[in-house]
Parts: sequence; C-alpha cells; structure tokens
Amino acid sequence: MKQLTELTTSFTSVADSIDLPGQDLSWIQEIRQQALAQFNQSGFPSKKVEDWKYTSLWELTQLQFSHLVEPVEVSEQHCEQLALLEDAYRVVIVDGVFSADLSKLTSLQEGLTVGPFSQSLERIQQQLGKQVSIEKEGLTALNTLLMKEGVMVHIAEDKIIDKPIELLVINTGGTDNLATHLRNMIVLDDNAEATVIEHYVGLTDTSCLTNVVSEVILAEKAELFHYKLQQESDNAFHIATLAAKQATGSQWHTNNINLGAKLARNDIHSQLFGEQSHTTMDGLYILDNEQHIDNHTRIDHFVPNTTSNELYKGVLNGSSHAVFNGKVMVHKDAQKTDSNQYNHNLLLSRNCEIDTKPEMEIYADDVKCGHGSTVGQIDMDQLFFLRARGLDEVTARSLLTHAFAVEVLERIPSEHIRKALSNVIEQRLPRGKK
Amino acid sequence: MLEIKNLYASVDGKEILKGINLTVNAGEVHAIMGPNGAGKSTLSNVLAGRDGYEITQGEVIFKDEDLLDLEAEERARRGIFLAFQYPVEIPGVSNIYLLKAALNAVREHQGLDELDAMDFLALVREKMQLVHMNEEFLYRGVNEGFSGGEKKRNEILQMALLEPALAILDETDSGLDIDALRTVSEGVNALRSQERSIVMITHYQRLLDYIQPDFVHVLSDGRIVKSGDKELAKELEDKGYSWVKEHVEGSAA
Repeated sequence: MKQLTELTTSFTSVADSIDLPGQDLSWIQEIRQQALAQFNQSGFPSKKVEDWKYTSLWELTQLQFSHLVEPVEVSEQHCEQLALLEDAYRVVIVDGVFSADLSKLTSLQEGLTVGPFSQSLERIQQQLGKQVSIEKEGLTALNTLLMKEGVMVHIAEDKIIDKPIELLVINTGGTDNLATHLRNMIVLDDNAEATVIEHYVGLTDTSCLTNVVSEVILAEKAELFHYKLQQESDNAFHIATLAAKQATGSQWHTNNINLGAKLARNDIHSQLFGEQSHTTMDGLYILDNEQHIDNHTRIDHFVPNTTSNELYKGVLNGSSHAVFNGKVMVHKDAQKTDSNQYNHNLLLSRNCEIDTKPEMEIYADDVKCGHGSTVGQIDMDQLFFLRARGLDEVTARSLLTHAFAVEVLERIPSEHIRKALSNVIEQRLPRGKK
Repeated sequence: MLEIKNLYASVDGKEILKGINLTVNAGEVHAIMGPNGAGKSTLSNVLAGRDGYEITQGEVIFKDEDLLDLEAEERARRGIFLAFQYPVEIPGVSNIYLLKAALNAVREHQGLDELDAMDFLALVREKMQLVHMNEEFLYRGVNEGFSGGEKKRNEILQMALLEPALAILDETDSGLDIDALRTVSEGVNALRSQERSIVMITHYQRLLDYIQPDFVHVLSDGRIVKSGDKELAKELEDKGYSWVKEHVEGSAA
C-alpha cells in the first residue's frame, strides 16, 4: 500500500518537470508555492473526511498519472460533431492543450474577451484563486499547483453577449493515464450577460484524470447562464470545483449535467454577497454499470433578500452509485432569504445505490426555505396506462425515464440549448429493462 | 366480439371474480353495475391486461383470439380501450406525444403508415371538438394538473382518436359534475356504432340516463347475478343493491 506522502510526490514532482504557464511571473509562482505546501500537507481527501464519506479516491491514487502529452490530431469535422452548439464561440482544448486551429474566436462581439488561460494570466491576476479555497480542498490545491490551461471569459460592463461561449475539452485517450489540470475564469462586469458552456468529452476508454477548477465572478446585476456537460470516457476520473461570488442583483443559473466518467466529483459553491442576488443550481446525472458520481453543492446566503433554487435529479441503472449532498447556509444577517433545494432519484435496477442528503443550516429567523429528496422507481400505474394505450413496455419505460429527467432541462430558458442537451440525453438514457 | 366464459380471477390469493359469463356482440352497449367490492374494477383491469391478477379458471375470447394470452399493449393494438377510473398524470410526457404514439401503435398493427404531422394534427383537432377540449391541453403533460372532468374528457379524446372495437369505461362518471357528465356522455354517444361495443362499469344509475345501454348486468360478489334491459337499472336505483343481495341469497337458499 502506498503512503499518502508518496502519492502526493508523484504529482508534486511534476511541477518542476513540466512547462507550466507564468514561470516568469513571480505572483503566480508564489501562488503555486503556497499550493504546493498546502497539497503536501493535506494531500488527497480520504473517506474519513465527512465530505468524502461515500467517495473513495483510492483507485485514482494507485495510478501513475502522466503529464506529458503525446499529441493526437482531432479533425475540424470531428470537433464539429463533438461540440454541443454549432453557432457559438468556441475554445477547444485537446488533451490539456489549447488548439487555436479548432477554436472559433474570430469576430468577437464588442465587450467580449475570451481566450486560453495560459495566455490570459495578467488579466486575471487580481481575481485568480479568490473564489476557491486551497486550504479546504486538497484537489483545488493540486489544481492550483499544476493549472496549465483553461478558458478565460470576460464580459465588459453593460454588454449582452448574444452567442454562447462553449469550452470544449476533448480527451482523446492518446496518452495513458493523462492528467490535465484546468482553470477557468468567468468574469462578468456590471449589467453584463453571457452564456457559457463547459463541455468535457472523452473519445476512448483510456484512463485519465481531469481536474478542473472554474471560478465565476458576477458584478452588480450581471447574469450568467452556465451549463456543464460531462461526457468523459468510461475510465475517466473527473474532479471539478466550481465556485461563484455574486454581487448585488446578479443572477447565476448553472446546470450541471453528468453522463460520463468512471468517477465524477463536483463541488459547486455559490456565494451570495449582494442583496437581490439569485442562484439557480440544477443538475442531472444519468449513470449505468459501475459509474460513480458525487455532487456536493453549497449555497451561502450572506446578506438579506437573496434567493436560490436547486433541483438535482438522477437516473441510476446497473450497479451505479450516486451521492448528493446539498447544503444551503442561511447566515445570521440573511433575512428574507427564499431558498429551496430538491434531489429526486429514479432507480432502474436493484443494484444501484443513492446516498442523498439535502441540508439546510439557518441562522436567520425570517426566511422561507424548503428542501427534500426522494428515491423511487418507475411508477406502475403510469407504466400500465401507457401500455393500455398500445406502447410496448420497453418504449413506455424509456418514455417515463425521459419524462423524469426532462424536468431539469425544462428549467433552461434557451430553447436552443435545451434542445441540444435534450438530444444528448436521449441518446444516453438507458432503455428500461423488464 | 367479446365472450367471457366462467372467468375466475384472484389478487394476492384472494378470489375476486368467481365465474363471470358475458357475451358482448358488435354494436352493443352493456352496463355492468354493482356495489363496492363486487369486482367491477377487477373485471375491467383483467380485460385490459393489468399485471397482478391471477386467472385461475375460464377464458376470454376477443375477435376469435384468446385475450388472456396477450400483453396489455397487444390488446390495445387489437382494439381494446380502457377508459380509466383514475387517469394517471404523467408530467414530462406531453398529451400530443401520447396521442401520436398510441395512434401509431394501432396503425402499425393494422399495417398502416404513420400519419404525417399535418394530417395527425387535423385529426386530433377534429376529435377534440367532440369533447370540447381546448388545444392548449395537447401541449401539457398527460393529465398534468387537469381537473377531474378534464381527465375524463381526455380519456374520451383518446378513445375517439383510437376508434377501438371494444371500449371499457371504468366508472367514467365518478367525480364528474352534471355539465362534465353531459359532455363526456355526448362524446361517448357520438362514438356508438354498429362496429363498436361498449362496456360501461358504474356504481350509479345516473350515467345510464345519458348513455343508454342495451343490456344491464348486476355484478355482486364476483358473479353476474342478474341481467336485463335498462329497466333493471331503474329498479336497482329504487331498491338499492341490498335488494339484489337478498334476491341472490334468497334464490340460493
């Protein structure tokens, strides 16, 4: 059995041997040094930690990950097929490396700045790392130590960006056990509005690790529609942290759709610092076989008059395992908070498992909060109704499964994106078994 | 059309149907009445093919086929339609999707092509007039948030579209006010034809004022204990089901 120190060394030693951006910038070197010290101290989280009770990284830590990429060509045509949206600005990262050829960053609308992380460091100096905590999360420390690529999006004051921006991260599987550490920064100034999609795709079933941290900063009355679509390969480890800070009147709508990966972990954190700010935090996971997902979400209501809605739904088949842990914190001063949080699960087989824990901690006395979770199976009355109308059992079951999942998509305001996601999900839904 | 011979059925080992005999010819409307617990809903569920019922004896022949050998969806495609007592809500499946899938399942069985979108919509609109339904109902989830009356009208809409050979109306009048009852009944009456048989299952006589049956049967304790014409229903209404029970016990003794 390998010791914790050995495991961290396999990652920390690469920091010196690979070419990380910002080596000439002392401030970023300093951030990486802090992260190194922190990761050496905390290492990977173990199951003894409450937040990791149901998710073991043991298997991940037993693999020897590579940080040197053997380049694999992805054709323009293939890239078009992989992308969620045809008509969008696009930043494409292949095996952790930005591809200028595959990206679509021409004729940018005025007020929009978008580019690869590695070329944007000076722009984000003031904000980088401020939304997340390397002290609390070993994996965020690891990401900070090794962050190499990602996307930087900035929207200037009062600008409404019409076209969505899709970050397309492709893991080709050309390098065994490739580890990529991505950092995304999405910054909207006052009254700005944009749509950003984080899209992760795996092409083969080679084992890999994607460790991504996304930071979101919403200034006053800014509005961000944010989608994540995770379609990593069957042997991928996908670890993601997503954190936003919201100012007065800002709105963040985030939708976290996970279909792939052997093991996926999402830590999503909304921090409502300004009055009249709002977060919609939705998610959908569709699992089969041995897949494992753990969604940990947290919404902090720090000030009065803020609102949040959260709906997570899961469809589990095979012997998959899902964990949902949602925490809503209503702090002492956050009077008139209006918050609700729900997690609903549909189990299609006898061998799958869900551990769900919706939590609310409320320290204010004048609030409106509701939460709950359900775990169920296909409704026999609905199934019989459809069969009595001539639909065969398999069709009826998959129709009901789709109907269950689609509620999450119905909350997406853009019809265009809703349809694109709906098409992806339809292909992924398990056909009901008798 | 339909021939039920000495049918016995049980649920969880408890015998509910105890030897039903009934013949329904094409074009006939039969009413099956009976007190609570007589086995009315069991009979309709067994005919429609719901799981959970064990047939211990007897047979059911529908258009020269052994009905009990068929799955629920196979029965539906051959022209059996059950109008549910409590139509279930299915959020996330739109009404129009259901109508289209149901119609195409029947058409496929009949060897017909799917209707194209235009023809289908025209057909649905025509049928909706029959039950005075507004088009917005097409785009809502199946029965989602519908009132009791709207759910029953939706059932009759499905029936009108699918044009079944045999319609089984399970307590179609339950939960309806007079206006809704009239609308639903008009819809059913419009669907009466020489080719179509209807079996109405009801607790109350009032439905029969609107949809006049050719035959009335009284179901009690799992058997048809009395059959007659629509005058029998009136007699029942006057004297109550206790009269039937006494009558049956009397004749048995």
